Parts: sequence; structure tokens; C-alpha cells
Amino acid sequence: MPTLTINGKEITVEKGATVIQAAEKLGFDVPRYCYHPGLSIAGNCRMCLVEIEKFPKLQIACHTQAQDGMVVKTESDVVKKTREHILEFLLVNHPLDCPVCDQAGECFLQDYYMKHGLYDSRLDEDKVKKTKAESIGPTVMLDSERCILCSRCVRFTDEITKTSELGIFNRGNHSEIGIYPGRELNNKYSGNVVDICPVGALTDKDFRFKCRVWYLKTSPSVCTGCSMGCNIDIHYQVERKHIADGDRVMRLKPRENDEVNKWWICDEGRYNYPFIDKNRIHKPGRRVQGTVLSGQHDLEPAPWGEALDLAARKLKEIPKDAWAVMASPQMTNEELYLAKKLFGETLGLTLSLVSPSREGYSDDFLMKADKNPNTRGAFELGYSVLKGQLEDIVRKAEAGKIKGLYVFGQDLFEFFKPETAEKIFGNCEAMIFQGANWNPTAARASVVLPSAVFAEQDGTFTNFQRRVQRLFKAFEPMDEARPGWEILAALSERAGKKLAYKETREIFDEIAAKVPVFQGLTYTKIGKKGAVLS
Amino acid sequence: MKVVAPFLFSPEVQERVAKIVAQYERKQAAIIPLLNLAQEQFGYVTPEAEKFVADYLEVPIVHVREVVSFYTLLRTEPPGKCRIAVCTTTACRLRGADKALQYAEQKLGIKPGETTADGQFTLESVECLGACEFGPVAQVNDTYMGYLSGETLERIIHNGGPDREDWCAEAPLVETPTGEPLISKFFHMEESHKLETYLHHRGFEAVKKTVGKMPPEEVIDLVKKSNLRGLGGAGFSVGMKWSFVPKDTPKPKYLVVNADEGEPGTFKDKYILVKAPNLLIEGMILASYAVGIHKAFIYIRKEYQFPYERLQEAVDEAYAKGYLGKNILGTGFDLDIVIHRGAGAYICGEESALLESLEGKKGLPRLRPPFPAIAGLFGCPTVINNVETLSYLPFILDRGYEWFASLGSPKNGGMKLYCVSGRVENPGVYELPMGTSLRDIIFQHAGGVAEGRQLKAVIPGGISANILKADEIDVKMDFDSLKAAGTMLGSSGVMVIDDSVCMVKLLSYATKFFAHESCGQCSPCREGTGWIHKIVERILAGKGKPADLNNLLDISSFMSGNTICAFGDAAAMPVTSYIKKFRAEFEYHIQHKKCDIENADAND
Repeated sequence: MPTLTINGKEITVEKGATVIQAAEKLGFDVPRYCYHPGLSIAGNCRMCLVEIEKFPKLQIACHTQAQDGMVVKTESDVVKKTREHILEFLLVNHPLDCPVCDQAGECFLQDYYMKHGLYDSRLDEDKVKKTKAESIGPTVMLDSERCILCSRCVRFTDEITKTSELGIFNRGNHSEIGIYPGRELNNKYSGNVVDICPVGALTDKDFRFKCRVWYLKTSPSVCTGCSMGCNIDIHYQVERKHIADGDRVMRLKPRENDEVNKWWICDEGRYNYPFIDKNRIHKPGRRVQGTVLSGQHDLEPAPWGEALDLAARKLKEIPKDAWAVMASPQMTNEELYLAKKLFGETLGLTLSLVSPSREGYSDDFLMKADKNPNTRGAFELGYSVLKGQLEDIVRKAEAGKIKGLYVFGQDLFEFFKPETAEKIFGNCEAMIFQGANWNPTAARASVVLPSAVFAEQDGTFTNFQRRVQRLFKAFEPMDEARPGWEILAALSERAGKKLAYKETREIFDEIAAKVPVFQGLTYTKIGKKGAVLS
Repeated sequence: MKVVAPFLFSPEVQERVAKIVAQYERKQAAIIPLLNLAQEQFGYVTPEAEKFVADYLEVPIVHVREVVSFYTLLRTEPPGKCRIAVCTTTACRLRGADKALQYAEQKLGIKPGETTADGQFTLESVECLGACEFGPVAQVNDTYMGYLSGETLERIIHNGGPDREDWCAEAPLVETPTGEPLISKFFHMEESHKLETYLHHRGFEAVKKTVGKMPPEEVIDLVKKSNLRGLGGAGFSVGMKWSFVPKDTPKPKYLVVNADEGEPGTFKDKYILVKAPNLLIEGMILASYAVGIHKAFIYIRKEYQFPYERLQEAVDEAYAKGYLGKNILGTGFDLDIVIHRGAGAYICGEESALLESLEGKKGLPRLRPPFPAIAGLFGCPTVINNVETLSYLPFILDRGYEWFASLGSPKNGGMKLYCVSGRVENPGVYELPMGTSLRDIIFQHAGGVAEGRQLKAVIPGGISANILKADEIDVKMDFDSLKAAGTMLGSSGVMVIDDSVCMVKLLSYATKFFAHESCGQCSPCREGTGWIHKIVERILAGKGKPADLNNLLDISSFMSGNTICAFGDAAAMPVTSYIKKFRAEFEYHIQHKKCDIENADAND
């Protein structure tokens, strides 16, 4: 384990660690473009050149292995001067696109210029012209003039997705990133090249011209697209309603977690955010007096108190064995725990676990067939995860044995022919829909209870590896929607059992106390990286 | 590997494809040979050919396209029936390449890079072809045509192609002066490339004395003591370089011969390949024996068509007669040689870029460490040596290391093939003792400055060498003496400049070369070379600014030392040395917006 000195501070690192990694551990941020911890070393940007005693020339920190007794200086005069010049080289042919470039505000050229440049330009020549604003696939735009040829994107498609769509053509300062004519950058992880591009050469079509990044706030969370539970940051803004139709979430970005998704996220997960702002159920609703479940969309808004009272009454009226409660693996651990308490213990109903979606595409990288974030969590809390639970409910319903349905966001029209769904609704006396987004099933409900989405609440999910991960509330629920656990607590009170939780943390603490595998865990312990169940 | 491409290739060609691929330990290494083959068949690399290469060698097609786009000689469009590629680098420019190119432009009515409307002629401006001694040079289809003039071009155009045999077949134009000719002895012999001739002149005596008789470590030690230095340009001790290869390794070891000869002003290896290929072959056997190598590749620049044909002939003859392959001359030692042609890129003369190119990729130099002796070709221990370096080995092992060392100067042993070109009376290859004075080379041996003019400057070792003024030529032409004098021996490409040459214009030849040949991998060189060339062109066009000179020096100084390979340092040297030593000329251009040298460059 070599011990080396960087800027006067000593550190011992693993054998094989590079100087740039050692510097990072000490909190010294050596500027870099081509170096990325998830990719092979290219060593072409030369931005990380540092001074190392006994070496006649500056050395690139990303490729130089830490040796015992090495003395490194990352902020000496010669290093600073060299950085200025490297920056200058990179800017020689770089177009003055900042006013129209999405990368502005999170651009390595801008950031390093402010930190390591601040020189006056002495360029008096015409810049090399290349292709601009070229679509290279369904998700990514390429601007070759902006490219600094760090080759991160090429290494990504070679080494991570192994799809090799990208290459660098030509020689010298006519070098250009490109794809083979007739092909596209269309693997399932294409969006990641935008994350790793240090400049505005590769930009996300979905985010193009949407919002200036300095307006964005960020909140850590977990992707709800499948049971992988990739860590994300939700980038949002709430003040400027004229931006993006008043949507709050502008984009999702992967958040680094060495144990789950490293630096990456699949495209499905990345672009799985419109449901947060679009097609939301804004207010509680009840079926208009006199209309029945099957039939037209006859819902009218109702105040929360009234809607909850109505739901509670139905829950009491309809016999226990005539109820079907469809809990969802989209619900948080806290919600699922309360659902068991309310429906199971207090009301004595049977709970099923029904996924709102079918199994989908999976691979041996980040995409799981189970498109729900908390199936594992449900299992660990005592739910059955056997397949066919929905089919059982439908069989009973067709035989006329189900009079009451409690739906947690699923859409029966997804799974069955309209006739079957209609038949089910036809036999029901009440269908209570608790969910965030409208769907054809919600339109048939007797009571609609709008719930918050994951971005609007705290809570936890358990991924397929039994890792419990936290959601961090980014902003308030839309309009009158409420967190699912609060709705269940309100129903519980109306059912005679008052629950005293003030926040989800308290629910989780109870889970940790009552459910053996959760023992020892707290929100604090879980933090931003998660913790594995015992 | 069965080749099935009936719509693409005939059965005979399919067989050639299979044979080519079988020569390489990794399939991908056959990319450039197969692309060259496709271009030979179709005139250019067709999309079908790209797809075939990608599928057959199991390489993503984008990486095939990368290779095609990187190399000058691979094209994606059909060329004219006759391709005229005029060299426009320093030595040929000093001999009138500008006039020749202008004539061709006028006569054909097209600019470089274009093809005539009737599809007959394609005109190109290319970098150093390695034939500066009969410059200005053009490569017409595959043939080297020397002494390009209006007349010769008239004949070529009229003929629709070359009108005489390849100039590479000519003997060098002058006699070899001082000392006993070693390599150059073969340059004037009849049939010198044939095995019989070679055997007649102590050919393979060294192999007979050494292989299987002397312990390999002793061979290495001997070569160290002979003071043989790397003659491609770096001047590193050959024996020491060999000793870096690990003795015990489970991996196969390789010898790679650098026959890329791209350094402007250099043309010596060409003669060895044409006139004395058996010296190279014997040298390769000796080197391989010393290091424990049984497979060697000769990477030869694609432009060298006639030299390649001669070399292949010699290798084939050696195989046929038991001088290569298994159990060479009954010694029990095996060596296989594969000749690998490049595709047109100066950077592939850099040893790690050469390896990348050999492996089927763009010629992008590698990060070091690891060094090739540890992880070179296909990740295995590799020795890379220049053609001339290996060709002196038979003399060392046949006649003794002490004798060889004594021919030269301290620590710089043996003889040297000096290439003299530019404004000199008798351009050519001169084999002289290592450390001969530059003044003697120019004035005693090469006939002095041409047309009775005055010497102004000398570039002593290829385009990357710091320039020497006329009063600085009393220097010994060996690696250590020139380093002490603030320049380098490099490839021994001596380019002579007289008082009719404008130094600003001369610099622009160098900056154009470097901007054109930069591989583009790392930022200082990729951007620096292009930027520097633009500034120099602007000064030449009369639009220079006072800050330009200090900017040029500053930009160069930060290119130097900060790049992945020595190209960045090389590109900086002409800029710093020409400006430092001839600053007044540059300042004049900037102040007065014109040149103060009358008849600046006799070509205008």
C-alpha cells in the first residue's frame, strides 16, 4: 500500500491506485475531461497534468500509479500555467455557442475557465467548421464543433454497452465523433453519453432547450422503473411556471451508487418522469349520485373529508370476504406496512399484491424484468409475491363474489378485455381508486383518492438485492394529492384505529422494530446510499 | 476461416484473404491489409468491402470506418485513372515542388484533392515520399517519378501514367566516399538483392557464427558494447533496449521492423530494402535470436511500392532456400517474417502508433508505461528496430563489436547512412563514419551548396530537428554531439538551405506537415499544430501581427513535453529554432507585410 504526499499532505492508498484517485481522497480536485472512473484511461485531454518530484516532465495524474514516497504538487505555478494553456488549446476551435448550448451552467469548459483559466483570448484565426445539430439517434443530438474529443462516449459504447455505435473519424484537428452512416445510437443506455460528455457536444433531445440548468434544484431519489432501484437525482424547478408547460420535473439524472447502478441508468428509467406532472389526479372525486360503476365517466370533485367518509362507509358496509384489496409493488414500504395494518389487521380483509404492469425487457446490466421498485419490499413485509393473484380476483369477481375493489393505481383494462373489466365493475358495488395518475379504471371508480408520486414524498423502497433505499421529497404533492400513507392513516382513523405517525420516519422505525429483517435500520443509517436487509 | 464473399471477391481473391488473415495472431490485425486488398480490387474502399471486413474479422463496423478515414491512402471514392501525388514537404519544396504542382494544376485544370471531369486524372498534394534525393517527387499511381518538371509532367499526362520505370530502382546518385562501405557496398552491385550475390559477399556468415553457437545474452552484450544506436531517430542503445525484454515470459515475443521511413528528408531505408534486403533479413535473424523471438513483422510504408516488391521477393527467396522459416540453416532456430504494408500516416513511424496500426487500428500512440519491451504487439514483449539499425548487425556479429565501435565516435559506434537533400549539389545517401562533421558531409562529400549559392542553414536530422545556422555546421554528426549542440541526429535527414530561401516560408512547410500529420488524439498537439500553421500562413500572407512571434513561441513551448508522444515536441522544434535563429526575417515579414529575401524560394 503506497504512501505518497500530495500538496504536502500524506495519504496511503491501495496498490494500483492512480495519483488522481489519491488526490480525490485527499479532497484535491484535479481537473479532467477524458478521465472517468467507470471507463478505461485515455489520457488525451492532458488537463490532469501534475508535477511529480524526480520526473522531468509533468505527468498525467489519471494514468500515473501512486508509488511509495512520491511527492506530487497539483497547484504549483507550472501546473497552473499548463492548465491555462491546455484550456486554451481546447478552446481554439470551440464555437462560441454558450448562449444556445444546453450545457451552459454545467459545462467543464466554462467551469474550468472560471477556475483555471481567466486569460484573455489571443486567438486570431478562423475556427475549424464541423457538423452541428445532428441527430444521431432517438435520444441524442451531436454538435461536432463543440466536441473536445475526450472519447468518453466512444469508450462508453465500446466498454459499457458493448454496442460500439460511436467512433472518431479523420485525423488531427479534423477529427470528428460520428456514427457509421445509416446507423443510429439506439442502445437502451444511450442517454448516459449525454451525462458523461463534459461539454455540449452530446445533448439530450428530451431536455433540449427546456430549461437553463441554473434554475434547477436537485433532490436525491430512486428510480421507480424496475426492481433494480437505480439511484437518481430529480432535477426540478417550481417557480417558473412558463417553463415546460409548468411541469416541475425537468429531467432525471443517475446518481452515483457503487453498489447498485454505479454511474449509469437505462433510458427507460431516465425518461420515466412525465407521469410526475402530467395526467395527475388533482382532487378527490366521487361518482355522481345515481350513476353506477360501469357507464360514463361521472365523477365530480369532492372535498377530502367527504371522499374519505364515503370510502370508509363502503369499507364497513360491504362484507369482508367480498372485498379485494390490490396493493401494488409501486407503493413504498411505509405505505405497504400501513396497508397491512389497515386492511389486514383493522378491517380483516385479504390483501393481494398486483403489479400495474407486465414483466418487460431485462438484461444482465441494469434492467430487470419486474418493472416495479418495491416487490422485494412487499415480500419482506409479508405480502405474497406469487403470480396469478389478479387472475384469482378476476375469477371471483366474474363469479359474482367480489362486491368491493380497492385499487392502488393499477388499470384493469391493461390486463383484460374491456368486456371482462366491465363485467367486474358491473358486479361491484364500490370501487375505491387510490392513485396519482388517471387511467380508464380510475374513471370507473366510486371514490377517487389522489395520492402523491414518489418525488413528492419521503419513504423507502427495497430493491431486488434487498437494499433499502430512501426517497427524498423534492416538492409538495400536486394540488390536493396526499401521500398514500396519510390517506391510509385517515381511513384507519375512520375505521376506529387512530394512528399517531407524524412522518414516514416513524413508520419506518416501527417496521424496524417489528419486522426482524429490518432490525437495526434507521433512515439515518440508510442515508443516500441505502442499506441491505439482514 | 472460410471466406464466403462470392459477390465481392473471386475465389482467387478469397484465397488471398484467408492467407492474409492466417498470418496474424489476432484477426483484427488483418484490417489494413484487407482494406488495401479491397482498394486494389475496386479502386476504393466500398461500403460492401467495409461490411465484409467488419463481419469477417468480427470488428464493429464503425471502427473499420475509423481506420479508413484516418489513413491518407485509403479512400471512399473512386479515383481518376491516373493518380498524381506531388510531394510538398520541405526537401521537395526546396527543389521546385511548388512550380511542378502549379504546372499540374494549370495543365489539368483542377486543384489538389480533385479529379478531372473526364475521370482521367486525380491530383493530390502529399507529404514526404521518402525520395528527397531526386526531388521534386511525385508518386504516379504506384511509381515514383523524380525530377518533376513541366516537361516530365507533360509526358506523364500525355502518357496517362508513368513513362519510365520507378525511380526507386535507380542506384543512389553518388559514390560512397570515406572509409569502407558496409551497407552501401550493395548499392552499386548488380543483382544486389539476390541471395546469391549476398552470399558472395559474406552474407549470412554472421548467422552461421552466432545462431546456436553464441549464447543469446552474449549477443545482447556484444551489441551493447558495439555502441550501435537506434538509427530510426531516437538513438537509444540497441543492446540496452533488447535487454529490457523479460527473459522468462510465457508470452510470445515479437520483432517489429520499422520500415515506415516517413521523416521528411530521410530516404536511406528505401535503398536497403531495394538494394540490400538480405542485410535486413540477416539482421532480423540475429536480433530475434538474441532476444528469443520467432515471429517478426516488417511494417513498410504503403507508398514504397517498388521497395516492397523487392523486399517480398527477397523474403520469398530466403524462405525457399532455408534462410527463413523452420530450422534456419540447420541451426535449429525458427523465424517467420510477415511483411505488413501501411496505409499512409507519418505518425505510424512512432513505435507505439506503429503497433496500434499493425493491430488494425488508427495510428494513435499509446500511453507509456507499459513500454513495448514489456507489453507491445498484442500485449506481448516486443522489440522495435529501424531497418538501418538491423542492417548493421551482420557486420557487428561477423567482424566484431570492437571494430564496429571504433569506426564511429565514442558511444556512437559504426558507420551511418546520411541522407542529404535540399539546396545541395549532389543529393543522395552517404555512408560515412558516425561523427563525421556536418561541414564535411555538405562540402566535401555532397558537392557543396547548389548553383554556387551561399549556405544559410542546415536541418541536420529530419524535419523535427532544431535548425543550425551556417556558422554552426562544425559539429560531429552523431547522437551525443548534436544533442550537446542543442539539436539532434534523428533520422540523419540533412536538408541544406541556401540564401535564396525565406525562413518564414520554410517554417510553413514544417507547420503544414505537422498540422496534416497530427493524429489528433491529445489536445496540445491536435489544436496546437493547426493553430501554429494558421498563424504562420497569416504572416506569410502579409497579415502578421507583432504579438504573433511570442505567441508562436509560447504555444510551442506548451505543446512540448505535455503530449502523449514525441510528435508534440517535434512539432514545436522548427517553430522555436527557426524563430530564435532567424527572428529578424520573421519580424520583417510582420512589419513590412512582405518578404525581404529576393526571389524568395527559387520556385516562385
